[in-house]
Amino acid sequence: MKDERKFTNTGDRSYRNDDITVYWKPSACIHASSCYRELIEVFDPGSRPWINMKGAETDRIIETVDLCPTEALAWKWNEESRNAEVSTGHTNHIKFKRPELYKVPPATEEPGPVSVKIMRDGPIVIEGTFTLLHNETEKRLIKTINSFCRCGSTKSPPYCDGEHRIKGFEG
Amino acid sequence: MERNKQKETIVEVISNGPLKISGNIKLTDSVRGITSEDNEIYLCRCGKSGNKPYCDGSHKRHQGM
Repeated sequence: MKDERKFTNTGDRSYRNDDITVYWKPSACIHASSCYRELIEVFDPGSRPWINMKGAETDRIIETVDLCPTEALAWKWNEESRNAEVSTGHTNHIKFKRPELYKVPPATEEPGPVSVKIMRDGPIVIEGTFTLLHNETEKRLIKTINSFCRCGSTKSPPYCDGEHRIKGFEG
Repeated sequence: MERNKQKETIVEVISNGPLKISGNIKLTDSVRGITSEDNEIYLCRCGKSGNKPYCDGSHKRHQGM
């Protein structure tokens, strides 16, 4: 299991193993002590770093973080899609304790139609959310606007580079 | 690769050929007065089509696409 710490400017820190990330917000700690009483193998105020993500199984870490009465400790699954399913029983999931850290997964609703506009003597302008297949690669473009060459003269195909104007393309 | 054509719009740059667009599309060409919601279109990229904005295969007769 990888153990990785990340420091931020605010004194808040995050610690991760392969499954989850635990967020530590020292300014919110009221020293209720539930964390180290429950799981000293992970939460040891006498050690540096004081959170050792290798100290116990993920389930035990989650259970202990959920005991923290404040937002000093919070957690999330690293696999973002799993976070949407976390129930309120997990009181200290970031959705409930640190919503500012929770990125709502992209809406699964169907995106609207992709707009394809043919510009006078110019490119094809495509706007919206779509998958672009080009040279065996696949790119998901979300709410973007791109212009594709229609005159055959661009120096950066498939995109338009304005060359149509220089070449006097009509169409 | 399996794709759901109805839900996902795919823009495919066909090598030395047109731009294939499939899925939920709204095409507008105000110069020619075309609007279309066809689920699959092939748009000319070479500038030589006689049926713009669509591809008519003219690129095959021209080098340098």
